[in-house]
Amino acid sequence: MDFYLGLIQIIGVHTLLGLSAYCVLLTGQVSLAQAGFFAIGAYVAGMLTVLLHWPLVLALIVSAILGGAMACAVGFPALRVKGLMLVVATAAFGEAVRLFFFNFTYQVQSGAILLGPHGGEGFRQIRYFPEHGWGTLDVVLFIWTIVVLVMAMLWWMDRSRVGAVLRAVGEDELAAQSTGINITAVKVSAMTIGGIIAGIGGGIFAHYTTHIEHIQFGIVLATFAIAYPILGGLSNVFGTLLAVIFIQGLLIEGLRFLGDWRNLLFGGLIVLAMNIRPRGLLDAGVLMTLKRLVSRNGERKGA
Amino acid sequence: MIDLVQNTIDGVMIGSSYGLLALGFTLIFGVMRRLNLSYGPSIMIGGYVGTVLYVQYGAGPLAVAGTMILGAAIAGIYVERLCFAPMRMGAGIASMVSSFAIWMQLEQAAILVLPRHTYPFPPLTTGAPLEWGPFLLRLDHLIMLGCALGLTAAIQFALYRTRFGLALRAIIGNPVAAHLVGINVSVAVMLAFAAASAIGGVAGFLVLSVDQQVTPMFGMWATLKGLIAMMIGGLGSIPGAILGGLLLGVVEAHCQWYFGPQIRDLAAYIVLFVFLLVHPGGLLGRAPGSDIAAPRTP
Repeated sequence: MDFYLGLIQIIGVHTLLGLSAYCVLLTGQVSLAQAGFFAIGAYVAGMLTVLLHWPLVLALIVSAILGGAMACAVGFPALRVKGLMLVVATAAFGEAVRLFFFNFTYQVQSGAILLGPHGGEGFRQIRYFPEHGWGTLDVVLFIWTIVVLVMAMLWWMDRSRVGAVLRAVGEDELAAQSTGINITAVKVSAMTIGGIIAGIGGGIFAHYTTHIEHIQFGIVLATFAIAYPILGGLSNVFGTLLAVIFIQGLLIEGLRFLGDWRNLLFGGLIVLAMNIRPRGLLDAGVLMTLKRLVSRNGERKGA
Repeated sequence: MIDLVQNTIDGVMIGSSYGLLALGFTLIFGVMRRLNLSYGPSIMIGGYVGTVLYVQYGAGPLAVAGTMILGAAIAGIYVERLCFAPMRMGAGIASMVSSFAIWMQLEQAAILVLPRHTYPFPPLTTGAPLEWGPFLLRLDHLIMLGCALGLTAAIQFALYRTRFGLALRAIIGNPVAAHLVGINVSVAVMLAFAAASAIGGVAGFLVLSVDQQVTPMFGMWATLKGLIAMMIGGLGSIPGAILGGLLLGVVEAHCQWYFGPQIRDLAAYIVLFVFLLVHPGGLLGRAPGSDIAAPRTP
């Protein structure tokens, strides 16, 4: 049972990571910096709860603010370039953040042991959950409360004017600009929202794994972050959730019995999915079909 | 002063390998306008084929080089057929995500074939480094630099003086128009991909024979260094790729000397980031915006 609860935790945190890339992708930008904001959130939240004994929610709020501020600061210069340039610039930023934490040591003596991040060895003993008597189920509920809140917020944003503006910039920058939309402001805001979500996700990640290392936040994690929304489709937030369940639940955990051969099939299946559905698993066509099914059922009930 | 010059020389030598990696990358990007994350891993697959030949059958460096280049080219065609050929225009990110998936696949395949972490690789030359005044020059580094300059010239010639090069340039200009005048776009793109991976194979062979070992991590290293050198040099520019590689090598060598090896990689990323912001076109690239088909959301 604990195994499945652990899996649900992983899916929750990766959904947050995917959603942070989803916001940025809506404006047509591909950012590989999300793992960097995730790392900042993880280290900051971990240091606040371990070294300063802050409550977790407060620490998460601070890491969200810092992630957002960093994304805003990166967004202004980086969004001058687009396309592949932006991909590489954000990847460079993400790797720079990772290498910063690789060289970052700040330890405090606590009883017999040293606490705090220690360069290449990483940041051990982030024991907030066990120290405060949180069981696995409590942690799952906590993570999913946040995931649901974030998804609800993005869902609402998608349906409001803000979402329309974001998608307009993503579809055609020139047309959006000619209707009076300030595209730089829109892109930087999307990046900032993405940074906030990634910061929260990172903070939670640090606490449920209890041990973080710079290598976990490399370019592989950044690519996973954009793979989720791309694979799931950009029609709405559930596409990202579906893709996380598909990749983390089905491909990574479901194929574990294959042992070392798993990654061969894993790569092949993602390529297959992208070939069959280049617009994502949950694209506009599927949504129309779903909607029609639901409304037909509704009619029958009414009749 | 001697240190300064020696570091610059070392940087130029290491940089020529980055330049070679960037050369293959820029060819793929110039033709496809898409990012191939599996570029390094396909070179690594070539390296594994080479090391099997060396360890099992005791092949010489030239035979290893030949099979490595062939292996890299075949792996490149595999990537192209799976991730790039089936995706229609406008699905650039789908290609990128697919090539990432293939990266994981190739890395796992290498680990399955040879489960130990590192494998030996034949050195190209043995013997003491050449002395030139107070400075030291390694012979294999000189061969690397020579290969980089020679291949640049060869690619420039192939692109601007041959019929195949003309076809490729037509595809770069406008794939639909190229198709209409009777160019087999699919085959030409596949061949360009194979050529790019083969160039990567040359670069990989030279780097690995200096290191004398191959690890699964080599794929990621090659992708990142090639990408950074290409971006600094300017997208789609052949001489720019070499120039960007050399500049990256020199900057890294100096940073390592003055700030230590941990700062080396960090410096590379910071240089790239600053370069992209201040002068997004790179050293020799065209003005930003004119040549970038932004990978739009599908």
